[in-house]
Amino acid sequence: MQVIMVDQRKCTGCHQCELWCGSEIASESKEIPFSFFDDPQPVPRVFVEGKPFALQCRHCPDAPCVEACPNGSMTRDENGLVYVNETTCIACWMCVMACPFGVINPSSSLKVAIKCDRCRNMGYPICVEICPTNALQLVEREMPKTLSSKG
Amino acid sequence: MRYVIIGGSAAAIRAVEAIRSVDRRSPIDLFSDEPTPLFSRVLLPYYVAEELPKKLLNFRPLTFFEDQEVTSHLGVRITAIDPESRTVTADNGQNFDYDRLLIATGGSPIIPPIPGVEKKGIFPLKTMQDAENIYGSKGKRAVVIGAGSIGVESCISLKRKGMDVTLVEQLGRVLPTVFDDRASAIIRKRMEDLGIKVNTGERAVQFQGNGAVSSMSTEQRDINCDLVVLSIGVNPNVELARAAGLEIGELGGIAVNDRMRTSAAGIFAAGDVVETKDIALDKKSINAIWPCAVEQGYAAGLNMTGKKVLYPGSLRMNSIGNFIGQPAISIGMVSAPTETGGAEAGEAYQEVTRSSKDTYRKLILKGSRIVGATLVGDTQKAGILGVLIKKQIEVGEFVPLLMSHKLNFMEILPLIRRHSDKFSEPEYKELMDTGL
Repeated sequence: MQVIMVDQRKCTGCHQCELWCGSEIASESKEIPFSFFDDPQPVPRVFVEGKPFALQCRHCPDAPCVEACPNGSMTRDENGLVYVNETTCIACWMCVMACPFGVINPSSSLKVAIKCDRCRNMGYPICVEICPTNALQLVEREMPKTLSSKG
Repeated sequence: MRYVIIGGSAAAIRAVEAIRSVDRRSPIDLFSDEPTPLFSRVLLPYYVAEELPKKLLNFRPLTFFEDQEVTSHLGVRITAIDPESRTVTADNGQNFDYDRLLIATGGSPIIPPIPGVEKKGIFPLKTMQDAENIYGSKGKRAVVIGAGSIGVESCISLKRKGMDVTLVEQLGRVLPTVFDDRASAIIRKRMEDLGIKVNTGERAVQFQGNGAVSSMSTEQRDINCDLVVLSIGVNPNVELARAAGLEIGELGGIAVNDRMRTSAAGIFAAGDVVETKDIALDKKSINAIWPCAVEQGYAAGLNMTGKKVLYPGSLRMNSIGNFIGQPAISIGMVSAPTETGGAEAGEAYQEVTRSSKDTYRKLILKGSRIVGATLVGDTQKAGILGVLIKKQIEVGEFVPLLMSHKLNFMEILPLIRRHSDKFSEPEYKELMDTGL
């Protein structure tokens, strides 16, 4: 499967990915100028961290969040992408507790777990598309031979 | 290969998935004494509160057994296991042969021997029927006995249903096995703000009432009530295993090895019924929680197919979600032990805490490893601490960062890289290869 990788030499930490993820994907209005006034405020699924580095859900082959979810709201699609069924998510934050990357946002205002689904419904991740320096790329994941994608 | 699975909850269902990921063809017979399949026990308080309709309690689609080609026997109880002939006997008299058997019989709610406990209107909350009983109660005043997760969530549920709710807990704080005094006080405050009366350090001694319960006495007071929820805890259902001569551990759960196998050939066990090594406590524990049951079921299932999968041990973790309205997470040890056992072994325990108006964070260190983490308020990065506990990482000079609100995964990448032998999964490797 494909994952989003960051070329660290190119990532300037400009937070454009967060901004676009929050407005284009998460907001009601889908426009940056208006999304600032959304209530509840949209939250991004990508986090510019560290040195800097834009980190989002890694879609782990063996995902602890899927294992921890008590009602199957955290699930995996046929392409291997892990996503939250927001209509059934009960905001228990078991997935937040399980995520080793800390990239599931327990949104108290939206009352659902917010995480990157790699824009599975749009076909192409917005953060990759808008990154001004092309630091974000969609690449094929290298899988060790002993591991296989599972449930 | 013939598989038989006793149980129908988290461990059992995950074991089915594990078996089917390897073996699509062999027959699987699954027995559950509960007629309602595939519902998530931990969500029953949500059902009582009308937060979730019944169909959203399911953690797998209702077509699960069909999809996985499992012969399900719902409402059928297994009454005996014969490890010699490798057969199980059902309560309808039928025998079933197995090559690999999974015991995932879970636990039963503890019914305390308090005088009057048999009166009408007193229920545990474990089965769908229990949830229906409580949901259907016409009561106005409820008492919840036991302030564990189910007890606390039951209080919220009943309060939302408009009842007058009193919580009675024998120990000195709410969620006593989940949080320390400080974190627990924050949850208690939240409960009291919601109008729930919380009485800790108080023991129920008697139920009164003519047929139906009408009041309850503690050593301190009488409380009028027409509904009582018993949430004292669960005991592992080991009767079948014991009668079959399987080894029962020192804590009363089924003893299993690191591949989830019991003392009998071909018989595995997983979930609330087993005792396993707790990674953080470094001793045997019955960690009767959902994530452990899921992991154990998966490991057991794979091992039943003949694969060799090591179960590294269990880790106690609890999350207080939006239901209570005060995010809080605890992983591993709750408080550093006060006895000097750790110090004698050369590894002293240390607690590091930080708090602000709305947040509280605590790490418990044993030597240079984290063995416990508590986060209240700001919880998003809790899982980072969790994986460091689970993989028993020497965190050394990273403690200040781990305590800081600036904690994030990329900041601890040097620590992950230092222990790269323990982070061999592709999702970690690809980040380590970024040259940061």
